[in-house]
Amino acid sequence: MSDILLDIRDLHAGIEGKEILHGVNLTIGYGEIHAVMGPNGAGKSTLGAVLTGRPGYEVTSGTVTFAGRDLLAMTPEERSWAGLFLSFQYPIEIAGVTMTNFLKAAVQARRKAAGLPELSAGEFLALMKQKMALLKMKPEFAKREVNVGFSGGEKKRGEIFQMAMLEPVLSILDETDSGLDVDALKIVADGVNSLRTPETSAIIITHYQKLLEYIVPDVVHVLKEGRIVKTAGRELVDVIENEGFEAING
Amino acid sequence: MDKVFVIGRDEIPSKVVLGAGESLRATFVALPGASAHLSLTVELTGEGAELDAAGLFVCREAENVSIEMNVRHLAGRCRSNQMFRGIADGRSRVRFNGLIYVEQDAQKTEAYQSCHSLLLSEGARVETDPQLEIYADDVVCSHGAAIGYPSADELFYMRSRGIPEQEARRLQIISFLSPVLSRLPEEFYSLIGFQS
Repeated sequence: MSDILLDIRDLHAGIEGKEILHGVNLTIGYGEIHAVMGPNGAGKSTLGAVLTGRPGYEVTSGTVTFAGRDLLAMTPEERSWAGLFLSFQYPIEIAGVTMTNFLKAAVQARRKAAGLPELSAGEFLALMKQKMALLKMKPEFAKREVNVGFSGGEKKRGEIFQMAMLEPVLSILDETDSGLDVDALKIVADGVNSLRTPETSAIIITHYQKLLEYIVPDVVHVLKEGRIVKTAGRELVDVIENEGFEAING
Repeated sequence: MDKVFVIGRDEIPSKVVLGAGESLRATFVALPGASAHLSLTVELTGEGAELDAAGLFVCREAENVSIEMNVRHLAGRCRSNQMFRGIADGRSRVRFNGLIYVEQDAQKTEAYQSCHSLLLSEGARVETDPQLEIYADDVVCSHGAAIGYPSADELFYMRSRGIPEQEARRLQIISFLSPVLSRLPEEFYSLIGFQS
Protein backbone atom coordinates (compact mmCIF):
# COMPACT_ATOMS: atom_id res chain seq x y z
CA MET A 1 0.00 0.00 0.00
CA SER A 2 1.24 3.44 -0.87
CA ASP A 3 1.52 6.12 1.81
CA ILE A 4 -0.56 8.46 -0.28
CA LEU A 5 -4.28 8.62 0.46
CA LEU A 6 -5.33 11.49 -1.78
CA ASP A 7 -3.50 12.76 -4.81
CA ILE A 8 -4.96 15.73 -6.69
CA ARG A 9 -3.13 16.67 -9.88
CA ASP A 10 -3.69 19.79 -11.94
CA LEU A 11 -7.39 19.92 -11.11
CA HIS A 12 -9.43 22.37 -13.12
CA ALA A 13 -13.09 22.60 -12.14
CA GLY A 14 -15.96 24.99 -11.86
CA ILE A 15 -19.67 25.52 -11.99
CA GLU A 16 -22.01 26.69 -14.75
CA GLY A 17 -19.18 26.98 -17.25
CA LYS A 18 -17.09 29.19 -14.99
CA GLU A 19 -13.73 27.76 -13.96
CA ILE A 20 -13.01 28.26 -10.24
CA LEU A 21 -10.12 25.88 -9.60
CA HIS A 22 -7.28 26.65 -11.99
CA GLY A 23 -4.94 23.69 -11.55
CA VAL A 24 -4.91 22.51 -7.95
CA ASN A 25 -2.18 20.08 -6.81
CA LEU A 26 -2.49 18.49 -3.39
CA THR A 27 -1.14 15.27 -1.87
CA ILE A 28 -2.30 13.90 1.46
CA GLY A 29 -0.80 10.92 3.24
CA TYR A 30 -2.49 8.53 5.65
CA GLY A 31 -2.76 9.97 9.16
CA GLU A 32 -2.18 13.58 8.12
CA ILE A 33 -4.22 16.68 8.86
CA HIS A 34 -4.08 19.36 6.23
CA ALA A 35 -5.52 22.84 6.54
CA VAL A 36 -6.68 24.62 3.40
CA MET A 37 -6.92 28.31 4.15
CA GLY A 38 -7.75 31.22 1.92
CA PRO A 39 -9.92 34.27 1.50
CA ASN A 40 -13.59 34.13 0.51
CA GLY A 41 -14.07 33.14 -3.10
CA ALA A 42 -10.71 31.37 -3.38
CA GLY A 43 -12.37 28.08 -4.29
CA LYS A 44 -12.15 26.30 -0.92
CA SER A 45 -15.74 25.06 -0.85
CA THR A 46 -15.57 24.23 -4.57
CA LEU A 47 -12.69 21.88 -3.76
CA GLY A 48 -14.84 20.07 -1.17
CA ALA A 49 -17.78 19.93 -3.58
CA VAL A 50 -15.72 18.53 -6.44
CA LEU A 51 -14.05 15.90 -4.26
CA THR A 52 -17.42 14.62 -3.02
CA GLY A 53 -19.08 14.74 -6.45
CA ARG A 54 -21.67 17.43 -5.89
CA PRO A 55 -23.95 17.67 -8.97
CA GLY A 56 -23.50 20.87 -10.92
CA TYR A 57 -19.73 21.01 -10.49
CA GLU A 58 -17.72 20.11 -13.56
CA VAL A 59 -14.18 18.87 -13.73
CA THR A 60 -12.61 20.06 -16.96
CA SER A 61 -9.18 18.48 -16.51
CA GLY A 62 -6.87 16.87 -14.00
CA THR A 63 -6.99 13.70 -11.91
CA VAL A 64 -7.88 12.76 -8.36
CA THR A 65 -6.72 9.43 -6.95
CA PHE A 66 -8.19 8.32 -3.63
CA ALA A 67 -6.78 5.21 -1.95
CA GLY A 68 -5.50 4.12 -5.34
CA ARG A 69 -8.81 4.60 -7.15
CA ASP A 70 -10.05 7.18 -9.66
CA LEU A 71 -12.22 9.29 -7.41
CA LEU A 72 -13.78 11.36 -10.18
CA ALA A 73 -15.28 8.26 -11.82
CA MET A 74 -17.27 7.40 -8.69
CA THR A 75 -20.81 8.42 -7.64
CA PRO A 76 -21.21 10.41 -4.40
CA GLU A 77 -22.34 7.28 -2.52
CA GLU A 78 -19.41 5.24 -3.86
CA ARG A 79 -17.04 7.94 -2.64
CA SER A 80 -18.63 7.68 0.79
CA TRP A 81 -18.29 3.89 0.79
CA ALA A 82 -14.63 4.32 -0.15
CA GLY A 83 -14.15 6.37 3.03
CA LEU A 84 -14.66 10.00 2.04
CA PHE A 85 -16.74 12.30 4.22
CA LEU A 86 -17.70 15.96 3.91
CA SER A 87 -18.89 17.97 6.89
CA PHE A 88 -21.18 20.47 5.16
CA GLN A 89 -20.81 24.17 5.71
CA TYR A 90 -24.61 24.38 5.58
CA PRO A 91 -26.06 21.01 6.64
CA ILE A 92 -29.37 20.19 4.94
CA GLU A 93 -32.64 19.74 6.84
CA ILE A 94 -34.64 16.60 6.15
CA ALA A 95 -38.01 16.86 7.87
CA GLY A 96 -39.77 13.70 8.90
CA VAL A 97 -36.62 11.55 8.85
CA THR A 98 -35.00 10.92 12.24
CA MET A 99 -31.24 10.96 12.74
CA THR A 100 -31.55 7.27 13.64
CA ASN A 101 -33.30 6.30 10.39
CA PHE A 102 -31.01 8.51 8.32
CA LEU A 103 -27.85 7.02 9.78
CA LYS A 104 -29.23 3.50 9.71
CA ALA A 105 -29.73 3.84 5.95
CA ALA A 106 -26.20 5.22 5.59
CA VAL A 107 -24.44 2.69 7.83
CA GLN A 108 -26.24 -0.34 6.40
CA ALA A 109 -25.57 0.72 2.79
CA ARG A 110 -21.92 1.19 3.63
CA ARG A 111 -21.70 -2.27 5.23
CA LYS A 112 -23.43 -3.82 2.25
CA ALA A 113 -20.94 -2.17 -0.10
CA ALA A 114 -18.10 -3.54 2.02
CA GLY A 115 -19.58 -7.05 1.89
CA LEU A 116 -20.42 -7.02 5.60
CA PRO A 117 -23.71 -8.26 7.08
CA GLU A 118 -26.26 -5.65 8.17
CA LEU A 119 -26.20 -4.66 11.82
CA SER A 120 -29.17 -5.85 13.87
CA ALA A 121 -31.41 -3.15 15.35
CA GLY A 122 -29.78 -3.71 18.75
CA GLU A 123 -26.24 -3.54 17.39
CA PHE A 124 -27.04 -0.35 15.51
CA LEU A 125 -28.52 1.37 18.56
CA ALA A 126 -25.51 0.33 20.64
CA LEU A 127 -23.23 1.90 18.03
CA MET A 128 -25.28 5.13 18.07
CA LYS A 129 -25.09 5.25 21.87
CA GLN A 130 -21.36 4.69 21.91
CA LYS A 131 -20.69 7.46 19.38
CA MET A 132 -23.11 9.85 21.04
CA ALA A 133 -21.33 9.33 24.36
CA LEU A 134 -18.00 10.00 22.65
CA LEU A 135 -19.30 13.36 21.42
CA LYS A 136 -21.21 14.12 24.65
CA MET A 137 -24.57 14.29 22.91
CA LYS A 138 -27.92 13.94 24.61
CA PRO A 139 -29.87 10.73 23.88
CA GLU A 140 -32.85 12.74 22.48
CA PHE A 141 -30.63 13.73 19.58
CA ALA A 142 -31.17 10.33 17.93
CA LYS A 143 -34.91 10.93 17.71
CA ARG A 144 -34.74 14.39 16.21
CA GLU A 145 -35.41 15.00 12.53
CA VAL A 146 -32.22 15.51 10.53
CA ASN A 147 -31.01 19.07 11.19
CA VAL A 148 -34.58 20.35 11.67
CA GLY A 149 -34.70 23.06 14.31
CA PHE A 150 -31.00 22.57 15.14
CA SER A 151 -29.00 25.60 16.24
CA GLY A 152 -25.87 26.42 14.24
CA GLY A 153 -23.72 24.64 16.82
CA GLU A 154 -25.99 21.58 16.91
CA LYS A 155 -25.82 21.27 13.14
CA LYS A 156 -22.02 21.23 13.17
CA ARG A 157 -21.92 18.74 16.06
CA GLY A 158 -24.44 16.67 14.13
CA GLU A 159 -22.04 16.59 11.19
CA ILE A 160 -19.19 15.39 13.42
CA PHE A 161 -21.52 12.79 14.89
CA GLN A 162 -22.30 11.51 11.39
CA MET A 163 -18.57 11.43 10.76
CA ALA A 164 -18.13 9.31 13.90
CA MET A 165 -20.83 6.90 12.73
CA LEU A 166 -19.38 6.53 9.23
CA GLU A 167 -15.72 6.22 10.27
CA PRO A 168 -14.26 7.83 7.15
CA VAL A 169 -10.65 7.54 6.05
CA LEU A 170 -10.61 11.14 4.81
CA SER A 171 -12.83 13.82 6.36
CA ILE A 172 -13.25 17.20 4.76
CA LEU A 173 -14.46 19.80 7.23
CA ASP A 174 -15.84 22.68 5.19
CA GLU A 175 -15.90 25.82 7.34
CA THR A 176 -17.01 23.74 10.29
CA ASP A 177 -15.96 26.64 12.52
CA SER A 178 -18.21 29.23 10.88
CA GLY A 179 -20.96 30.41 13.18
CA LEU A 180 -19.61 28.57 16.22
CA ASP A 181 -18.80 30.21 19.54
CA VAL A 182 -15.64 29.13 21.36
CA ASP A 183 -17.41 26.49 23.47
CA ALA A 184 -19.03 24.86 20.44
CA LEU A 185 -15.73 25.08 18.58
CA LYS A 186 -13.97 23.18 21.39
CA ILE A 187 -16.63 20.46 21.40
CA VAL A 188 -16.33 20.01 17.64
CA ALA A 189 -12.51 20.01 17.80
CA ASP A 190 -12.48 17.51 20.69
CA GLY A 191 -14.77 15.30 18.64
CA VAL A 192 -12.53 15.44 15.58
CA ASN A 193 -9.40 14.83 17.67
CA SER A 194 -10.96 11.87 19.47
CA LEU A 195 -11.83 10.25 16.13
CA ARG A 196 -8.27 10.56 14.87
CA THR A 197 -6.31 7.39 14.14
CA PRO A 198 -2.90 6.84 12.51
CA GLU A 199 -4.70 5.78 9.30
CA THR A 200 -7.27 8.58 9.00
CA SER A 201 -6.69 11.97 7.49
CA ALA A 202 -8.55 15.26 7.36
CA ILE A 203 -8.75 18.41 5.31
CA ILE A 204 -9.77 21.41 7.40
CA ILE A 205 -11.15 24.14 5.16
CA THR A 206 -11.27 27.46 6.98
CA HIS A 207 -10.38 31.09 6.73
CA TYR A 208 -9.79 31.61 10.43
CA GLN A 209 -6.92 30.29 12.51
CA LYS A 210 -9.06 29.67 15.59
CA LEU A 211 -10.08 26.06 14.83
CA LEU A 212 -6.45 25.24 14.03
CA GLU A 213 -5.48 26.03 17.63
CA TYR A 214 -7.55 23.02 18.64
CA ILE A 215 -7.04 20.74 15.64
CA VAL A 216 -3.36 21.08 14.90
CA PRO A 217 -2.56 20.59 11.21
CA ASP A 218 0.55 18.85 9.90
CA VAL A 219 0.47 20.82 6.66
CA VAL A 220 -1.07 24.19 5.78
CA HIS A 221 -2.00 25.23 2.25
CA VAL A 222 -3.09 28.63 1.09
CA LEU A 223 -5.63 28.61 -1.71
CA LYS A 224 -5.99 31.88 -3.61
CA GLU A 225 -7.83 32.49 -6.85
CA GLY A 226 -8.20 28.79 -7.54
CA ARG A 227 -4.58 27.78 -6.98
CA ILE A 228 -2.55 26.61 -4.04
CA VAL A 229 0.00 29.38 -3.73
CA LYS A 230 1.85 28.23 -0.62
CA THR A 231 2.34 25.00 1.32
CA ALA A 232 4.18 24.89 4.62
CA GLY A 233 4.00 23.57 8.18
CA ARG A 234 1.72 24.82 10.93
CA GLU A 235 3.86 27.96 11.40
CA LEU A 236 2.14 29.33 8.27
CA VAL A 237 -1.03 29.78 10.33
CA ASP A 238 0.72 32.44 12.43
CA VAL A 239 2.05 34.21 9.37
CA ILE A 240 -1.49 34.42 7.98
CA GLU A 241 -2.83 35.55 11.35
CA ASN A 242 -0.28 38.37 11.53
CA GLU A 243 -0.02 39.45 7.91
CA GLY A 244 -3.26 38.32 6.26
CA PHE A 245 -3.72 36.40 3.01
CA GLU A 246 -2.55 39.44 1.04
CA ALA A 247 1.03 38.76 2.10
CA ILE A 248 1.01 35.12 0.91
CA ASN A 249 2.01 34.88 -2.70
CA GLY A 250 3.96 31.67 -3.05
CA MET B 1 -56.50 8.62 16.22
CA ASP B 2 -57.72 9.94 12.91
CA LYS B 3 -60.57 8.64 10.92
CA VAL B 4 -58.88 7.44 7.78
CA PHE B 5 -60.70 7.19 4.46
CA VAL B 6 -59.28 5.66 1.33
CA ILE B 7 -60.77 7.66 -1.52
CA GLY B 8 -62.66 5.42 -3.95
CA ARG B 9 -62.74 2.50 -1.51
CA ASP B 10 -64.41 3.82 1.63
CA GLU B 11 -67.76 5.51 1.76
CA ILE B 12 -67.23 9.23 2.25
CA PRO B 13 -70.20 11.55 2.73
CA SER B 14 -70.34 14.47 0.33
CA LYS B 15 -71.31 16.84 3.13
CA VAL B 16 -70.57 17.02 6.84
CA VAL B 17 -72.16 19.53 9.23
CA LEU B 18 -70.36 20.36 12.45
CA GLY B 19 -72.52 22.05 15.10
CA ALA B 20 -71.46 23.95 18.22
CA GLY B 21 -68.48 22.33 19.90
CA GLU B 22 -68.34 19.43 17.44
CA SER B 23 -65.12 18.39 15.78
CA LEU B 24 -63.89 16.16 13.00
CA ARG B 25 -60.37 14.90 12.46
CA ALA B 26 -60.05 12.98 9.22
CA THR B 27 -57.37 11.94 6.76
CA PHE B 28 -58.13 11.10 3.13
CA VAL B 29 -55.81 8.91 1.12
CA ALA B 30 -55.57 8.36 -2.64
CA LEU B 31 -53.61 5.13 -3.03
CA PRO B 32 -51.28 4.50 -5.96
CA GLY B 33 -52.65 2.61 -8.94
CA ALA B 34 -56.23 3.86 -8.77
CA SER B 35 -57.87 7.04 -9.96
CA ALA B 36 -59.82 8.77 -7.23
CA HIS B 37 -62.24 11.61 -6.82
CA LEU B 38 -63.05 13.33 -3.54
CA SER B 39 -65.68 16.02 -3.24
CA LEU B 40 -66.43 17.13 0.27
CA THR B 41 -68.28 20.05 1.79
CA VAL B 42 -67.86 20.75 5.49
CA GLU B 43 -70.13 23.31 7.14
CA LEU B 44 -69.20 24.71 10.51
CA THR B 45 -72.57 25.88 11.79
CA GLY B 46 -72.10 26.31 15.55
CA GLU B 47 -69.59 28.23 17.67
CA GLY B 48 -66.41 26.35 18.47
CA ALA B 49 -66.74 23.72 15.74
CA GLU B 50 -63.42 22.36 14.51
CA LEU B 51 -62.26 20.63 11.37
CA ASP B 52 -58.83 19.06 11.11
CA ALA B 53 -58.58 17.50 7.68
CA ALA B 54 -55.56 16.12 5.87
CA GLY B 55 -55.04 14.33 2.62
CA LEU B 56 -52.40 12.33 0.84
CA PHE B 57 -52.08 11.35 -2.80
CA VAL B 58 -49.45 9.02 -4.20
CA CYS B 59 -49.67 8.85 -7.98
CA ARG B 60 -47.03 6.75 -9.66
CA GLU B 61 -48.35 5.88 -13.12
CA ALA B 62 -51.35 7.30 -14.93
CA GLU B 63 -53.74 7.95 -12.05
CA ASN B 64 -56.24 10.75 -12.26
CA VAL B 65 -56.90 12.27 -8.85
CA SER B 66 -59.19 15.18 -8.14
CA ILE B 67 -59.89 16.70 -4.78
CA GLU B 68 -62.53 19.32 -4.17
CA MET B 69 -62.80 20.75 -0.70
CA ASN B 70 -65.43 23.28 0.26
CA VAL B 71 -65.11 24.44 3.84
CA ARG B 72 -67.84 26.85 4.95
CA HIS B 73 -67.56 28.85 8.14
CA LEU B 74 -71.15 29.81 8.95
CA ALA B 75 -70.69 30.56 12.67
CA GLY B 76 -68.09 32.45 14.69
CA ARG B 77 -65.12 31.10 16.63
CA CYS B 78 -64.68 28.01 14.50
CA ARG B 79 -61.40 26.58 13.32
CA SER B 80 -60.52 24.64 10.21
CA ASN B 81 -57.25 23.28 8.99
CA GLN B 82 -56.70 21.40 5.75
CA MET B 83 -53.34 19.98 4.85
CA PHE B 84 -52.75 18.06 1.64
CA ARG B 85 -49.48 16.51 0.48
CA GLY B 86 -48.82 14.34 -2.52
CA ILE B 87 -46.52 13.14 -5.23
CA ALA B 88 -47.18 12.88 -8.95
CA ASP B 89 -45.02 10.56 -11.03
CA GLY B 90 -45.41 8.94 -14.45
CA ARG B 91 -48.21 10.49 -16.46
CA SER B 92 -50.55 11.10 -13.54
CA ARG B 93 -52.95 14.03 -13.26
CA VAL B 94 -53.81 15.73 -10.00
CA ARG B 95 -56.30 18.50 -9.50
CA PHE B 96 -56.94 20.25 -6.20
CA ASN B 97 -59.72 22.78 -5.73
CA GLY B 98 -60.08 24.18 -2.27
CA LEU B 99 -62.51 26.84 -1.17
CA ILE B 100 -62.63 28.47 2.22
CA TYR B 101 -65.84 30.44 2.63
CA VAL B 102 -66.36 32.67 5.68
CA GLU B 103 -69.79 34.20 6.19
CA GLN B 104 -70.15 37.78 7.40
CA ASP B 105 -71.25 36.75 10.92
CA ALA B 106 -68.52 34.16 11.33
CA GLN B 107 -66.17 36.44 13.28
CA LYS B 108 -63.05 35.08 15.01
CA THR B 109 -62.75 32.38 12.38
CA GLU B 110 -59.42 30.63 11.96
CA ALA B 111 -59.04 28.81 8.66
CA TYR B 112 -55.95 27.34 7.04
CA GLN B 113 -55.37 25.34 3.92
CA SER B 114 -52.26 24.05 2.22
CA CYS B 115 -51.64 21.75 -0.73
CA HIS B 116 -48.03 20.88 -1.52
CA SER B 117 -47.14 18.58 -4.39
CA LEU B 118 -43.91 17.02 -5.50
CA LEU B 119 -43.54 16.42 -9.23
CA LEU B 120 -41.43 13.38 -9.98
CA SER B 121 -41.66 13.28 -13.76
CA GLU B 122 -42.06 15.69 -16.61
CA GLY B 123 -45.10 13.77 -17.80
CA ALA B 124 -47.06 14.32 -14.59
CA ARG B 125 -49.28 17.33 -14.07
CA VAL B 126 -50.63 18.98 -10.93
CA GLU B 127 -53.10 21.85 -10.89
CA THR B 128 -54.09 23.57 -7.69
CA ASP B 129 -56.71 26.21 -7.25
CA PRO B 130 -57.05 27.47 -3.71
CA GLN B 131 -59.71 30.10 -3.12
CA LEU B 132 -60.69 32.28 -0.22
CA GLU B 133 -64.10 33.91 -0.03
CA ILE B 134 -64.28 35.96 3.14
CA TYR B 135 -67.07 38.30 4.24
CA ALA B 136 -66.18 38.67 7.94
CA ASP B 137 -63.49 41.14 9.00
CA ASP B 138 -62.11 39.63 12.20
CA VAL B 139 -60.60 36.39 10.90
CA VAL B 140 -57.26 34.64 10.48
CA CYS B 141 -57.07 32.78 7.19
CA SER B 142 -54.26 31.49 5.05
CA HIS B 143 -53.82 29.25 2.10
CA GLY B 144 -50.80 28.02 0.27
CA ALA B 145 -50.25 25.84 -2.72
CA ALA B 146 -46.81 24.78 -3.86
CA ILE B 147 -45.68 22.50 -6.64
CA GLY B 148 -42.04 21.62 -6.83
CA TYR B 149 -39.34 19.15 -7.72
CA PRO B 150 -37.28 17.14 -5.24
CA SER B 151 -34.41 19.18 -3.84
CA ALA B 152 -31.04 18.39 -5.42
CA ASP B 153 -29.27 19.53 -2.24
CA GLU B 154 -31.21 17.05 -0.10
CA LEU B 155 -30.45 14.26 -2.52
CA PHE B 156 -26.74 15.05 -2.59
CA TYR B 157 -26.56 15.34 1.20
CA MET B 158 -27.96 11.85 1.59
CA ARG B 159 -25.83 10.32 -1.15
CA SER B 160 -22.71 11.93 0.33
CA ARG B 161 -23.45 9.85 3.45
CA GLY B 162 -23.47 6.69 1.37
CA ILE B 163 -27.25 6.35 1.04
CA PRO B 164 -27.77 4.92 -2.47
CA GLU B 165 -29.63 7.21 -4.85
CA GLN B 166 -32.80 5.12 -5.01
CA GLU B 167 -33.04 4.89 -1.21
CA ALA B 168 -32.29 8.61 -0.91
CA ARG B 169 -35.18 9.39 -3.27
CA ARG B 170 -37.49 7.19 -1.20
CA LEU B 171 -36.47 9.00 2.01
CA GLN B 172 -37.00 12.32 0.26
CA ILE B 173 -40.58 11.40 -0.56
CA ILE B 174 -41.23 10.14 2.97
CA SER B 175 -39.82 13.41 4.26
CA PHE B 176 -42.08 15.44 2.00
CA LEU B 177 -45.20 13.45 2.89
CA SER B 178 -44.35 13.17 6.58
CA PRO B 179 -46.77 15.82 7.94
CA VAL B 180 -49.69 13.74 6.63
CA LEU B 181 -48.03 10.31 6.70
CA SER B 182 -47.48 10.68 10.44
CA ARG B 183 -51.28 10.75 10.93
CA LEU B 184 -51.74 7.33 9.35
CA PRO B 185 -51.44 3.85 10.86
CA GLU B 186 -48.25 1.95 10.08
CA GLU B 187 -49.82 -0.34 7.46
CA PHE B 188 -50.22 2.62 5.11
CA TYR B 189 -46.47 2.76 4.55
CA SER B 190 -46.64 -0.48 2.59
CA LEU B 191 -50.02 0.37 1.01
CA ILE B 192 -48.53 3.45 -0.58
CA GLY B 193 -45.41 1.57 -1.61
CA PHE B 194 -42.91 2.37 1.17
CA GLN B 195 -41.59 0.08 3.83
CA SER B 196 -41.27 2.04 7.06
